[in-house]
Amino acid sequence: MVSLAIPSDIAFVILTVVTITAAIMALHAKELIYGAVSLAVSFIGIAGFFALLDAPYLAMLQIAIYVGAIVVLILFTIMLVRRDQAPEIDEQTNSESPVGLWLAGLLALAISGVVALAGASLPTGEPPANLQVSDLGPVLTSQYPVPLIVLALLLSASLLGALVLAKVER
Amino acid sequence: MVSLTSYLIVSAALLGIGVYGLSVKRNAIRILFAVEIIVNAANLNFAAFTRYMNPPQVSGQVIVFYSIAAAAMEAAVGLALILVAFRLNSTIDVRKLNKLKG
Amino acid sequence: MVVFPPTTPAELVALVIRIITSHTFITVVVFPGFIHLTVVVIFLTWYERKLLARIQLRIGPLYAGGPGGLFQPLADGVKLIFKEVMIPYKASKPLFLGIPVLLVFLSALPFAVIPFGQHWVIANIDVGLVFVFAMTSLFPSMILLFAWASNSKYPFLGGLRSLFQQVAYEIPMWISTLSIVLLAGSLNLVDIVRAQQKIWFIVPAFLSFVVFFISIMAELERLPFDLPEAEPELVAGWYTEASGAIFMLIFMGLYMKLYLMSSLVTVLFLGGWWGPTILPQPVWFILKSLIVATFIIIPRGVYPRIRVDMLIKIGWTRLLIIALANVFLTIILIGTGFMTAWGI
Repeated sequence: MVSLAIPSDIAFVILTVVTITAAIMALHAKELIYGAVSLAVSFIGIAGFFALLDAPYLAMLQIAIYVGAIVVLILFTIMLVRRDQAPEIDEQTNSESPVGLWLAGLLALAISGVVALAGASLPTGEPPANLQVSDLGPVLTSQYPVPLIVLALLLSASLLGALVLAKVER
Repeated sequence: MVSLTSYLIVSAALLGIGVYGLSVKRNAIRILFAVEIIVNAANLNFAAFTRYMNPPQVSGQVIVFYSIAAAAMEAAVGLALILVAFRLNSTIDVRKLNKLKG
Repeated sequence: MVVFPPTTPAELVALVIRIITSHTFITVVVFPGFIHLTVVVIFLTWYERKLLARIQLRIGPLYAGGPGGLFQPLADGVKLIFKEVMIPYKASKPLFLGIPVLLVFLSALPFAVIPFGQHWVIANIDVGLVFVFAMTSLFPSMILLFAWASNSKYPFLGGLRSLFQQVAYEIPMWISTLSIVLLAGSLNLVDIVRAQQKIWFIVPAFLSFVVFFISIMAELERLPFDLPEAEPELVAGWYTEASGAIFMLIFMGLYMKLYLMSSLVTVLFLGGWWGPTILPQPVWFILKSLIVATFIIIPRGVYPRIRVDMLIKIGWTRLLIIALANVFLTIILIGTGFMTAWGI
């Protein structure tokens, strides 16, 4: 069978460009809804990263939960919170000095510097990892059962909490 | 061959973008976008370490699994809070939502 | 001998023939790929109109040519291509034009993991079922975006109703597949079908089959779950403002989703490609999918529309309980050794 083998390096570069561009556009788009759509694209990019990292189950979960549920919630809220003024006058970042930009830039550079300096002592992953999807189940239920149950309780609590908060008082 | 360093640098860049959005933006929903970007950067970090350790630890994927679920919960409650704040104050500009009362 | 890069025309022809006859090319382009999907979707549009017509004591399309009006979809397609695409005032152009394309793309993408035969699957990934789940969970957000981008009241209300309905019925849909995953012991769709060699999973998981079938009828917005498209109230629901080629794309996307859901029922419950070896395996698969599609189409001509409170009650409570009951039943079946986690 002829296999169409795309080198994973090209895929990595494309995914990086897509994810970071979409993340920047999510914060800078004029309309909030376009921002939400870019955020969804950035989430799909991260799902692509998970697929490259031998975690296909996580990639599918990321798409199903983040893009399929969280982005829908965000779109809903944006539509419910619309004021009837045409332009979105929220962002006026030019009036202050770009402290936020410097802060974020320095943070990212510092972490990248530390990572690059420690490059030799990081694990290399030379014997290729053979992670199967079926490895996840036994670890979840036998090694980490308590967080699983706590997560279930938290999910119910957050569901009830969101319902109570958003209820309209009549 | 893509090394672990590249993934960590991408994760750091996303963290930087998220922190920038968190500190500069005034719209509460954009701040939520920034928080989600930061959480995704952390997830990417965990997943990258899972793959590149020898022997590979599946615990990293378990952490990402929980993190995705927890982020879903946090987004739901956060959006409900934004809705309530909008109903009470008719604005979602966080610089105006600075009174704890009412 | 195939040489790359080819230097003479004869080598070029040899290379092209080698590519065209390779298994990858055939699976992606011809058999469970583009050509087969397009042909089946076009056939389904004609089939539905003829079937509904016969149920309603009419004849259906007859005059467009071919035996029994078989070229009617072709005539429809040509007409829709030549109609003007009207974009509403202040609608969002990128979303309005881009989302129908994305809809067709997302409806066709899960076919990459559905096995039409023992070796007729485009991508045999280990998480096939979760892949289909992830792709179908993207539909509600696209519908909401298209409805919002139409900048008009009727589509927006229809889009919201459609979103509520689809999100509500996704939960019983995927919990009912939990029993199937327990019985087959794998999330891989090829393994799920291979585990049904002795007995189809509709027999031990009959309650799940019922829940899944009802849920996909709600996902596809077919009568009796027709609220988002209630014709006397909402004109056409979320795609009211679509015209011309946009409408054709949405129409194709909806029918591709119908074929996708029927194929999914076949893979999960009806034994996929297994059947007596008189006919080849893919033929059995397509035959079973078309029978399931028939049973999805028939209620459209028979049942009245469901009320919204019944819709919510059934979707959020009743179906979920029945699906969970089936999961417990499956656990008991496997625990007592009656069935192993690989079929009987």
